[in-house]
Amino acid sequence: MLEQTNEQNNIITLEDLRPRPKEKKTFSDHFMPRLHPGILFDPEKCTGCGTCEMVCSLRNVSKIAPASASIKVLRDESRLKNFAIFCQHCRKPLCVEACPTRAIEKGEDGIVRIDKLFCVSCGLCTMACPEAAPLIDPVTAEINKCDLCEGDPLCVKYCPTGALTFTKGKRIRWIKGLRWSVQAISFLLLTVVLLGSFCSFKAGALSLSCPTGVLQNIASSGKVVLAWVLSASLILGLTILAGRFFCGWLCPFGFFLDLVDKITPKKIGLPLFLKSRMVKYGILVGAVGGSYAFGFQAFCPVCPIGSICRSYGATGTLNGANMGIVAVLGGLEVTERRVWCRYFCPVGALLALFAKIGLIKIVIGANQCKKFSCIQCAEVCPMGIIDADKLREGISPDIPMTECITCMRCIDRCPYGAAKIRFRWQKAVPGDVAL
Amino acid sequence: MANGKDRIAEAKRFSGAHSCVECGRCVAVCPMAEMYTNFSIEMSPRGVIKKALTGNDIITDENIWYCTECNAGTDVCPQGVSCRDLIRDLREIAIEENVVENLKYCTRCGKQFLSIPAKNFVFERLREEPSNVLDILELCPSCRREIYMLRNT
Repeated sequence: MLEQTNEQNNIITLEDLRPRPKEKKTFSDHFMPRLHPGILFDPEKCTGCGTCEMVCSLRNVSKIAPASASIKVLRDESRLKNFAIFCQHCRKPLCVEACPTRAIEKGEDGIVRIDKLFCVSCGLCTMACPEAAPLIDPVTAEINKCDLCEGDPLCVKYCPTGALTFTKGKRIRWIKGLRWSVQAISFLLLTVVLLGSFCSFKAGALSLSCPTGVLQNIASSGKVVLAWVLSASLILGLTILAGRFFCGWLCPFGFFLDLVDKITPKKIGLPLFLKSRMVKYGILVGAVGGSYAFGFQAFCPVCPIGSICRSYGATGTLNGANMGIVAVLGGLEVTERRVWCRYFCPVGALLALFAKIGLIKIVIGANQCKKFSCIQCAEVCPMGIIDADKLREGISPDIPMTECITCMRCIDRCPYGAAKIRFRWQKAVPGDVAL
Repeated sequence: MANGKDRIAEAKRFSGAHSCVECGRCVAVCPMAEMYTNFSIEMSPRGVIKKALTGNDIITDENIWYCTECNAGTDVCPQGVSCRDLIRDLREIAIEENVVENLKYCTRCGKQFLSIPAKNFVFERLREEPSNVLDILELCPSCRREIYMLRNT
């Protein structure tokens, strides 16, 4: 063994001689981390001209030699497609781990750089990179890797068709704090300040009603009152505009379930015969039919949203029966996340029908989650509608807006900016390959 | 076999191995010292050159398969010996002599692109990564680029 020891007789390793820089995090970095900067590539626009290779080699070796560039254009003649291979400046770069001389480091600005002083051009970074982006120069045998031209990439500047675009890291994860505060304020308003206000609320000319309650009212009384329909239309209109925004951001019972979810992280799963998302439509039909048969609102007495809104009466005493419903359904949360909202809630079912004709949709561009292994969106989705297997295969999953509660956890969480909110008529999957 | 010996002699002449003065500069900069815990003088470029010059069984020696074919030793050599070229040539001869147990082949196109010790090192460093990332490491670089292209266009 060829090794040196220090005073304490410990073997000196590279870690002692050249320790890795500690990750510095400011306060805002902690709560709103940045996406890393990078180059976006749209294969639809690329003509395979190779200008990017030329200008890149001009910077690398001061002459036009496409083989010495840090970007490589692949041209598939049989399928008439072009594609550019370049460093994506990963969030967790594998090349940094693999480099034996620790010449590669990710800077504080998110750019992954090779320090030429330490690089011995062994080529192991190419072997560790999932798309082999560090290119080996055939003449000098040096490793050419993109360093984003220190924030002003030449390839982007000279790309004649605009297939390459540069993106600076923008801050993410601010939606989380916004959603939790909106949910908490909504919870306090609906359960403490304005008692029972979600089921039906009237203040002067302004009235607001639960749409499922209104349906049951109509069924039980056999007449349609315009004021009821108008008061229900506020939430229905919101649903058409923004999906089941109510469920994710405003529903007090949903907030309660989210809180219960925080303390029950392990899920035991639900028996298969209950795992149909059609059950909630059945309950909705049953509630309306029952109201017609019995002549009173059949579902409202056991409705958990109503229960939590009416959890204590006018005298200030807790209503035992209502609290029981809330506690039992909260306990069901150990089976799956938001299990009530997923399978049983008739209010959500009615909103889902309107979300189906809504204006927005969530898209997740699977070709942007490069390594197909992060699938954080599928993990954080409270409704469990993101297909992790499809994402692993690199296929963009179809997200049913009837089930999506627009909580935007996926958008917030995606480190690659691949999950987006889009209008219904916009392109389903973004074409660019971004990280 | 005689042909093989001639070729070894040729490889030694082309890489300038005869002018090695055993100063050990190549060992000082060799990244293998950081990569392998069992790094020894036999494995180092200086040891391989010495064995190539004096020993007979350099082709069947396991130690020629640890090198990553970097250029560090050649850069610092005062005599201009290219240990990388020597080891490359020795490996080529070894493959022709059917010594192939230390070769890593691409699982898609079948091309040989790494030696097993270097591959083990990369896998050891990335062992915490999910299995589908490690599957990608079984492919040669050009296949990886091709697959990445097929996925995204």
